[in-house]
Amino acid sequence: MKSWPNFLRCPAWSALCAFGALATFVRGEDSFYAQRVAPILDKNCVVCHGAKKQKGDLRLDSFAELVKGGKNGAVVKAGDPKDSELYVRVTLHPEDEDFMPADSKPPLKPAEVKVLELWIAAGADDRTPASAVKGAPALAAPKAPTPALTADWQPRRAEIAALEKTLGIRLVPRSRLGTDGLVLRTASAPGLCDDATLAKLAPVADLIVEAELARTKVTDAGLAALATFVELRTLDLTRTAVTSTGVAKLVTLKKLESLNLTATAVDEAGIAPLKSLPALKQTWLFGTKVGAAAP
Amino acid sequence: MHSPDFHNCSDHCGENPTVWDLPGLPQSLKREWLTAETRRHFLGRGVKALGAAGLATLLGRSAPHLLAADAPAPAAGLDLRPHFAPKAKRAIYLFMAGAPSQFETWDYKPALAPMFDKDLPESVRGGQVLTGMTASQARLPVAPSLYKFAQHGKSGTWVSELLPHTAKVVDDLCVIKSLHTEAINHEPAILSITTGNMFPGKPSLGAWLSYGLGAINDELPTFVVMTSKMPVRTNVQALSNRLWSSGFLSPEHAAVSLRSGADPVLYLNNPTGIDGEVRRAMIDGVNSLNSDLFNRVGDPEINARIAQYEMAFRMQTSVPELTDFSDEPASTWELYGPKAKEPGTYAYNCLMARRLAERGVRFSQVFLRTWDNHSQLPERIKIMCGDSDQATAALITDLKQRGMLDDTLVVWGGEFGRTVYSQGTLTPTNYGRDHHPRCFSMWMAGGGVKPGISYGETDDFSYNIVKDPVHIRDLHATIFNQFGIDHNRLSFKFQGLDQKLTGVLPSRVINEILA
Ligand code: HEC
Repeated sequence: MKSWPNFLRCPAWSALCAFGALATFVRGEDSFYAQRVAPILDKNCVVCHGAKKQKGDLRLDSFAELVKGGKNGAVVKAGDPKDSELYVRVTLHPEDEDFMPADSKPPLKPAEVKVLELWIAAGADDRTPASAVKGAPALAAPKAPTPALTADWQPRRAEIAALEKTLGIRLVPRSRLGTDGLVLRTASAPGLCDDATLAKLAPVADLIVEAELARTKVTDAGLAALATFVELRTLDLTRTAVTSTGVAKLVTLKKLESLNLTATAVDEAGIAPLKSLPALKQTWLFGTKVGAAAP
Repeated sequence: MHSPDFHNCSDHCGENPTVWDLPGLPQSLKREWLTAETRRHFLGRGVKALGAAGLATLLGRSAPHLLAADAPAPAAGLDLRPHFAPKAKRAIYLFMAGAPSQFETWDYKPALAPMFDKDLPESVRGGQVLTGMTASQARLPVAPSLYKFAQHGKSGTWVSELLPHTAKVVDDLCVIKSLHTEAINHEPAILSITTGNMFPGKPSLGAWLSYGLGAINDELPTFVVMTSKMPVRTNVQALSNRLWSSGFLSPEHAAVSLRSGADPVLYLNNPTGIDGEVRRAMIDGVNSLNSDLFNRVGDPEINARIAQYEMAFRMQTSVPELTDFSDEPASTWELYGPKAKEPGTYAYNCLMARRLAERGVRFSQVFLRTWDNHSQLPERIKIMCGDSDQATAALITDLKQRGMLDDTLVVWGGEFGRTVYSQGTLTPTNYGRDHHPRCFSMWMAGGGVKPGISYGETDDFSYNIVKDPVHIRDLHATIFNQFGIDHNRLSFKFQGLDQKLTGVLPSRVINEILA
């Protein structure tokens, strides 16, 4: 990669190169070769058969190189897997000295071998569309990206840090993914967190998905402020002075999934309105007037 | 680069020598000495800038290599982020030291009943080397469990009659019957399961969590251990602080051990005649001396020491409130049983573990010893279960009713299993069991683990695993996973290696047991 920086400095080259790459990409994009075969070769063979090393004078890092074959000539015979060196080598006994990948590298998976077989049988080209080759093992479903819970907190670092400092609470990222939201954490000094604290947190309310308010000084007045924290999924009000009056205000928290009211003065009247909350899965009511039977 | 000579130390103009001035040490080693990231930061800021307020933020906040890949230095308070959103915020590990027999607790083996006093088939043992305790025995006679099993809960899990209370919460548990380990003797086995390595000197699970995730509550230690009064007085295993040490991590990640009695944390109370103000002044004085020393020699342990003084000072306020059980409702005592009022019992420690979890202690480990029933097993294991069963079940029930089980992972288990054959004489009412590392049973509950399932199977003799083996490394990887940590990506550079809890041998998260 030594030439890379120079390469970048020459606009004509880079434009050409970008164009070239784009062109093959577009042409081959939907082909069975590009979609199914190339990834298998890239993963298992190109370390020894690529730009850096050409074991057996064979390169497998592009279709053009592949068709050139190796020191013993062509490695694929269109329509005939059993007579194609590329297929034969990966189906030998793993301890055979001609077995590929060589050097006791992990053998191809049966599904991968099957893909190579189907590809050669279908003509071993780079034009046949993926959809035209029947019987190929299904690709593992791509991992669904984690859905964003909130806006990314990271650009607002300074604002968050300032609030932590002045309010004596902590705003802890749930994970290193900025869109996983923040946890409002008060365990170090629950006594410092009161209704005014919650009001002052309003500017970052859109980032807070979880509020740990157990043992804090929060009362019904604070719950009015909290009712605007519409990103909340989890809310813990254990052992606070909140009552049914305040809790009833939380009906705006449409995303709330879990509400802990353990050891509060809440009664039936307070939780009745919450039954309409669409996402609410669990309400904890141990030690309240509602009785021990939590839903 | 040459090492400066001890006597001509160049960069300190004749002051006391620093680590850089030590002769004959490779530069790289010196550098390692000074690496821990925050410490360098600390050095850069200069010690003078570090007032008492700054000290507070040092504790439990050193930057781990959790962020290795995405590293613009995060603002204070925004570091220590898990790799992915966690299911568990805290864990309580009920450590059954000495190794409870799986035959009388969780691994039901009805096929053994007709095998009473028959010889263990050689094909089952497969030539395994035995411990010195039974290797010389003329026979290895099969000893079926003297205790009956029944199915419980909606899950229909088989539970021994010795665990009537735990049987009632079995639908909240995930019982794993296929744990295995290499070590066949207690000390290496306990070290393996607490620190991931048989050799002493590695950080324990709780220390790793402290290092990786930091504290939830800065007023209490991140990692707490409690050892329980022993129900039996034979086959006692020593428990040493190696099991909860911080190993090569900064010492502040080691557990604080809570003791029973008037002084839960030793030397925490001010002696008569010393009030809080005097104590504060003393700590400030000691800290400034320590800061001077740090400035000169750069040993990160000095900072840890400063942090520990600060922690001790804060615990002077937080611990009395924690250990004052007078705010517990009457239902607590019904649930945990009368022994929970007696400091130091297992029941008391279980209740304490719940109180620690409520206050945000990340990792509490309760040790209960004397499960090592080489002889008179039927009698002794009954005592062991009797001493612990109610409190264990109470903890699960209590966490659940308070809405805490969802994000608190509870783990129960010992360091290995026990043999199907009797150690010593087998009679219809008496037998013993030797150590057996090839399979043993544990359970986990809460913290995102699937409730009401069993995982893994052993053969008819509970000698070999026949389905879904779980190495203790897999257990560790799974626990980390519930905390949002990828076990392959939490490391600490030490002795030239990126050290990890799970080491370098293959290990995997047991996804099948995760909800
Ligand atoms: C660790 C290095 C290594 C890897 C990985 C590897 N090969 Fe090879 N390959 C070799 C060596 C060395 C030779 C030459 C010696 C021989 O012919 O066996 C070779 C030769 C070949 C040949 C014969 C070329 C010729 O014309 O003689 C084929 C076909 C081949 N490899 C296919 C593959 C395939 C397909 C993969 C991936 C599944 C693969 N190889 C992975 C090292 C490797």
